[in-house]
Amino acid sequence: MNTLPDPHAPQRFTLSSLAAKWLGPATEACVAPLLLLVALYLPFAYFVLPEASALHLSLFGINLIGQIMCFALLALALDLVWGYAGILSLGHGVFFGIGGYLMAIYLLNGAYEQTHVLPDFMQYMGASEFPPLWKALSRLDVTVLATIVASAAVAAVFGFVTFRSRINGVYLSIITQALTYALMLLLFINDVGLGGNNGMTGFTQLAGHPVAGATTQIGLAVASCVLLVAAYVGVRYLTRSALGRALIAVRDDEARMRFLGYRTHTLKLLAWCLSAVLAALAGMLYVPQVGIVNPTIVSPQLSVEIAVWVAIGGRGTLLGAIFGAILVNGIKFWLTAELPAVWPFILAGVTLLIVVCFNNGVWGTFKAAAGRERQP
Amino acid sequence: MSNFRQTIAALVWLALALCGAGAQAAPVADMPRAAVLKAFCAPDGDKAAALTQLVALGVSAAKPADRAWARQIVEAMRNGALSCTADARATIQGTPPLDALTLQPATDATANPADTPYVPGILMMRKLSVASAEIDLFAPQRDTRDAAARQVDKFFTLLDPAVVARAIRQEHDPDIATTLTLAMAKRGLNSDVKAERLAAIKAVAEVPSQTARTALANFAAQDSVRADPDLRDAVQAALHHIDTWLTVGQALSILFSGLSYAGVLLLTALGLSIVFGLMGVINLAHGEFIMIGAYATYLVERFMQAHLPGLFDAYIFVAIPVAFIVCAACGMLLEFCVIRFLYRRPLETLLATWAVSIALIKLIQVLFGSQNLEFVTPAFLNGGMQVAPGFFVTYNRLFAIGLAVLIYGATFAVIRLTKLGLLMRATTQLRDMARCLGVPAERVDRVAFGVGAGLAGLAGVVLTQIASVNPSMGTGFVVDSFMVVVLGGAGSLAGTAVSSLALGEINQFIEPFYGAVAAKVAVLLLIVLIIQKRPQGLFALKTRV
Repeated sequence: MNTLPDPHAPQRFTLSSLAAKWLGPATEACVAPLLLLVALYLPFAYFVLPEASALHLSLFGINLIGQIMCFALLALALDLVWGYAGILSLGHGVFFGIGGYLMAIYLLNGAYEQTHVLPDFMQYMGASEFPPLWKALSRLDVTVLATIVASAAVAAVFGFVTFRSRINGVYLSIITQALTYALMLLLFINDVGLGGNNGMTGFTQLAGHPVAGATTQIGLAVASCVLLVAAYVGVRYLTRSALGRALIAVRDDEARMRFLGYRTHTLKLLAWCLSAVLAALAGMLYVPQVGIVNPTIVSPQLSVEIAVWVAIGGRGTLLGAIFGAILVNGIKFWLTAELPAVWPFILAGVTLLIVVCFNNGVWGTFKAAAGRERQP
Repeated sequence: MSNFRQTIAALVWLALALCGAGAQAAPVADMPRAAVLKAFCAPDGDKAAALTQLVALGVSAAKPADRAWARQIVEAMRNGALSCTADARATIQGTPPLDALTLQPATDATANPADTPYVPGILMMRKLSVASAEIDLFAPQRDTRDAAARQVDKFFTLLDPAVVARAIRQEHDPDIATTLTLAMAKRGLNSDVKAERLAAIKAVAEVPSQTARTALANFAAQDSVRADPDLRDAVQAALHHIDTWLTVGQALSILFSGLSYAGVLLLTALGLSIVFGLMGVINLAHGEFIMIGAYATYLVERFMQAHLPGLFDAYIFVAIPVAFIVCAACGMLLEFCVIRFLYRRPLETLLATWAVSIALIKLIQVLFGSQNLEFVTPAFLNGGMQVAPGFFVTYNRLFAIGLAVLIYGATFAVIRLTKLGLLMRATTQLRDMARCLGVPAERVDRVAFGVGAGLAGLAGVVLTQIASVNPSMGTGFVVDSFMVVVLGGAGSLAGTAVSSLALGEINQFIEPFYGAVAAKVAVLLLIVLIIQKRPQGLFALKTRV
């Protein structure tokens, strides 16, 4: 029996009605301004509000928000390739790491200029002077440019080789995981000259400001928020453009798109390189906020976790990825301090639940429910 | 059986006694002993020559009892307890005095307290100590031989080259053999006689090792050697010979360790490949099944130690079925609870199994702690043997290779010959058609998943003997075994075998020269290159999906 719903019937309180009420295009449009508001709020909360105020944020809290925003940007980057091009990369840590390590080299340049003392790991390796090659990255703008070029180049080479030979699906995921694993092992070696196991630390100044200073840290957190918003708006525009439509089509049926005459591997390569650059920028902002870079940021563990954030939030919905990264990392920071032994079980449990029962993730499920409610 | 042997031996003795004149006081076999003692006790006898005879008797392989006897006589000489009677027979003084020939308490006729014992001088003392060491070189206990070899090395100028050379040939333990070789080399090279030096060079070249090479190289640097063209050429030839053998030995040991690594990879990748071929599912928790298998082995080991200490060495064999069953049960549980909901979504399976893997690692950490587990290696897996100079086959790695080959064979048989294998192949080829024909695909999946997990558990059993066991031991292996599957082609047994062999060997050949990372990177590059030409792996199955 299929009857039209009675428009005058009293509305029942269900998940989908709730979703329909709150999750319209209007809500989605609010997210970007909301994140910008957070960016504005951070300096206000630290400098203006008195410490006794409930709305005051400590430097630690602001730093945490900044880090989470970097992770959200990373998740957004992965969602672009996974949610829209169907490429599940388990190696996005590689690009995050490229950004992080290049930024660290820039920061060590600054530290050397100030103190004229070689970093510990260089002294340990017996170096007597600052590596001349590193001096190329003594300016911030050059470093940013170098990061963009390097990450795009690595992504382009890897993507060209793999997409051209039509490696996709699980095969591609595994190879990207092996890539990040190999890079991690490489960075663990002292002779590579990037600090080995201990990584690089001892940063003092960033573009003339003390790295650990309140202004710099708040500035970095704000920059992370702003970059996240900019990336979100940009990627959102991209995915709704003709190019984005083509990408989605490739995700859903690559063979058909190829038969229709599209160069599918070029499309994928484009999204892949863009995603890599976003991930590298996230790494650049992340490193000065945590004050250290070491090989764990390219560990396969972190790279899988990025995919888990996206899966929990909902892939193919850009907001879902951002939401998932903020949610998981927020809980992680809180729980690893309170109940460190329990966190892996909770993460595993939530991941299983989402993946098995709610394929679209939290955001995606709400969105789908809202969609059903509006068009029964 | 032993009764039978004893009967035969008795019959032989009887026959010998009948054939012999029967009039002699001592049994036939003791004749050499009597001769040695007679030489020793002869009034104007050369004691050193008698000692050489004694050692020759002690180290002759004819009768183990002679060795013990000779050892005791030498000891008596060193203690100054051996004395000769008037009729040129010997007694060992003590309470009671012993007849040196029979080691039985001496009769009144032979024992005479007035006989003065033989007291060796300083040189003779050294010779005696070398003699006892030389006899000990043929002892069955490794530690005795080791101590003896050191003793021989200490007094290398006095050693008997024929005896020591024979000891080296018989020696299984490379350390002892090397010590002895070095002693021989020092003796011969320090000799003044050119012929002896040449012979020593040749002898050293016969038993190549790094130590021997160093000794020869030092020798070659001496001025007197460089002055003599014969010696110089001989040394160069010997060095070349040793280098050749050392290279061969090194190559063989790399090959061997690559083989054992390939064995573990094969066990791990086999399960992965079957599951991937059948269901298109990659199991990121596969490495954790290895870990569970290793921990199951640990529990079996502990249990056997506490309750069945007599059969302790057999724990590794008990652990094989236990680890298989435990891991297979875990695998089937995982399939039942998680994987079967995700068949059409392979990428999500990656995340789900990753979640399972971090939960399992944490669980084992909570239960057992995160330190490395200590395993007691079964006695028969301890040590190894030297097959070629510089190439030492350890039994634990041999065990790994053997088990891997055996299990590969068994898996191959199951897939090719049993009904389950038939159903698995049918489902792999074309799932929907198989289902139409009545193949219970879901049950096949579950069993296959269980088998795959069980095989990973067996890899865990093997790894307890050759690697360290801790909660995160599986994570490193899983990337490598994925590479095997990607290279070999999913679901192909032959492909898995070939590619695990290739990757295992490549890893071990690159690692000693360029490091583990270079090995991993090279493997990755190789795979990316090969996949350019053969996207489905080297041995892609013909499926109809």
